Amino acid sequence: MRVELHGVGKRFAKVDALVGIDLVLASGSRTALVGPNGSGKSTLVRLLMGMLTGNGSIRLDTLDPAAHRNELARRIAYVPQIAPRLWATVHDLVHAVADLRGIETRRIDAVAERFELDLRSIARRPFRALSGGMRQKVLAAMALATDADLLILDEPTASMDPQSRAAFYRVLDELPQCPTVLLCSHRLDEIRQHVDRVVVLSDGRMIWQGASCLYLAEHTESVVELRAYGERAVTWLTARGFVLGSTGWWQCAIAQDSRADLVAAAFRELGSDVVDVLARDLERNEVRAVAS
Amino acid sequence: MSLRSQVAIVARLDFAEVRRSRWLLSCLFVHTLLAAAFVLVGLRESSVLGFTGMGRALMSLSHALIFLLPLLALVATAQVVNSARDDGSLELMLSNPVSRTGWFCGTSLVRLLALVVPLLVAMPLMAIVGSSCFHQRVPWEFLFRALVVGTSLLACFVATGLWISTFVRNQAKALMITVLVWAASVAFLDFGLVGLLLQWRLPPVAVFTLAATNPVQAARLALLASAQPELSTFGPVGFWLANRIGSTGLFLLGTCWPLLLGATAWLHALSRFRNRDLV
Repeated sequence: MRVELHGVGKRFAKVDALVGIDLVLASGSRTALVGPNGSGKSTLVRLLMGMLTGNGSIRLDTLDPAAHRNELARRIAYVPQIAPRLWATVHDLVHAVADLRGIETRRIDAVAERFELDLRSIARRPFRALSGGMRQKVLAAMALATDADLLILDEPTASMDPQSRAAFYRVLDELPQCPTVLLCSHRLDEIRQHVDRVVVLSDGRMIWQGASCLYLAEHTESVVELRAYGERAVTWLTARGFVLGSTGWWQCAIAQDSRADLVAAAFRELGSDVVDVLARDLERNEVRAVAS
Repeated sequence: MSLRSQVAIVARLDFAEVRRSRWLLSCLFVHTLLAAAFVLVGLRESSVLGFTGMGRALMSLSHALIFLLPLLALVATAQVVNSARDDGSLELMLSNPVSRTGWFCGTSLVRLLALVVPLLVAMPLMAIVGSSCFHQRVPWEFLFRALVVGTSLLACFVATGLWISTFVRNQAKALMITVLVWAASVAFLDFGLVGLLLQWRLPPVAVFTLAATNPVQAARLALLASAQPELSTFGPVGFWLANRIGSTGLFLLGTCWPLLLGATAWLHALSRFRNRDLV
C-alpha cells in the first residue's frame, strides 16, 4: 500500500501536535518513525488509521483514511505499544478479531506458535491477566496473521524477550504480501536490520528523513566499554577520554567509523591487560545521558 | 461485513468483558438483595396506597428501584467510551474492520442488557418466591407495569450515561457529572420542587415544567397510575396530570417519555462518536 501525506497537520486545543508533514512511503517499503515522547508519532499513526482528522491530505492507495476508514481497516493491521487491559479472555479476543477480519483462528494460533506462545493453553485466561510480553505476543500474532497491506507497529517488541523479538521479525520478513511497514521504534538494532528508511519527528515537525544507513551514521555514536587492569591501562585509557564507571568498566563515546581503530589500538597497546571489550551504538542524546 | 455482524461480534466481546468484570453479577446481587429485604420486611397486613401484602412489597421495591436504577445505569455507562479511549481498547478494536456505529451499537446493547436482564430476573423471582413462602397472590399486572417502567427508565439513563461518556474525556469528571445528573433527577421530583418554589419563590410554571420533564418523576407516576390519585402521594404535578390524562395516560407518559429522552441522547451520542476524533 502506498502512503502519501501532503501538508498534514493536527492541532489539539492550543497545541500543534503535527505541522506540515510531507511524506511518501512506497508500497512494500519499511520505514521507522522515530522521535522523543510527544513528538507526534502516535498522532501520525492515528491519522493514518482514520481515527483522527487533520489538515492536509492523506492518501492510502488514493483513499482518504478518515472518509474510508471501514474500507481501509481490512487492509491495515496495527500492533499498539501498550496492550489494553481487557477482562475478556484470550479466546474471546482472538475470535472477535478473527471474525472481524474474516480469517481462521488457526492462522493466529500458527503465528503465536512462532513466538513460542500456545494460545490454546491460555485461551480461558483473561487478557489482562497475561504478562506484558504475552499480551504483546497475542497482539502481534493477530496483526501478522492478517493479509494487511500496511502494518503499523508501535514499538511491537518492547516487552518481548530476545527470542520472541527475533521470531517476530522472522515472521514479518516471511509475509507473502510484502506489506508496507511503519515501525515506531527506538531500537537501533531494529532500525539497522529491519527498515530501509527513517523519518524523525520532533515537536510535531518532520526534521529528518532518509535511508536508515545514513540515519545511523548521522544520528548515532558508538560507546566502547572496556575492562582492563594495571597502571599502564589507566594512563592509556584516561589519555583517550575513557571514564571509569563504578563497576570497573571504562567507557568512551566515539564516532562510529573510529570505533574499530580504537578497539584495535587498545589491544595493541595494552595487550593482555584488556580483560573484556564491548561496543554498541546509541542515539546521540542517549550517549550524552550515558556520559553524564 | 454487515453492520449486524459487526454489532454481534462487538457485543459478544463486550459481553465477555462485562461478564468477567462481574458487573452483571453485581447488578443481580443488588436487585436480589433489595428484593429479599422488601419481601422479608414488607409482607405484612398493613397497606400502602391501597396495596397490601405482595402488592405492597412490590410497590415499595419499585419505588426504591426508581431511585436506584438511574444511578446504576449512569455509573455503568458514563465511562464506557472515555475509559475505552484511555486504556487503548477502543484504538485496538477500531484498528480492525468495524465501523464506529457498529462498535457503539454493540457496546450500548450489552450495557443495556447487563442492567435490564438482572431486573427482569430478580423482580419476578422475588414475587414468585415471596408468594410461595408467604402464600400471597402475585399481582402480575403491577409486576408487569413495574418491569416495563424500570426497563424504560434504564434505557433512558443508559443512553444518558453513554452521552456523558462521549462528551467528557476525563473519567473522574464523568463520574462527578454522573452524580450531579442523578442528584438532579432525584431532586427534581415535584415534592422537592414545591420546597424550592416556596423557598425561592420560583414561578410555578418553571417548577411544573422541571417536574414534568424529569424521567424519574414520569416513571414514578407510571408506577402509581393504578392507585387512586391523592395530592399527598402524587404531588401537585402528578395529581394534576393524573386528573387530566388518567391512569393509562400516566402509564404511557411514564414509559414513553424516558424512552424518547433516551433515544434522543443516544442518537446525539452516536452522532458525536461518529464524527469527532476518537483518541
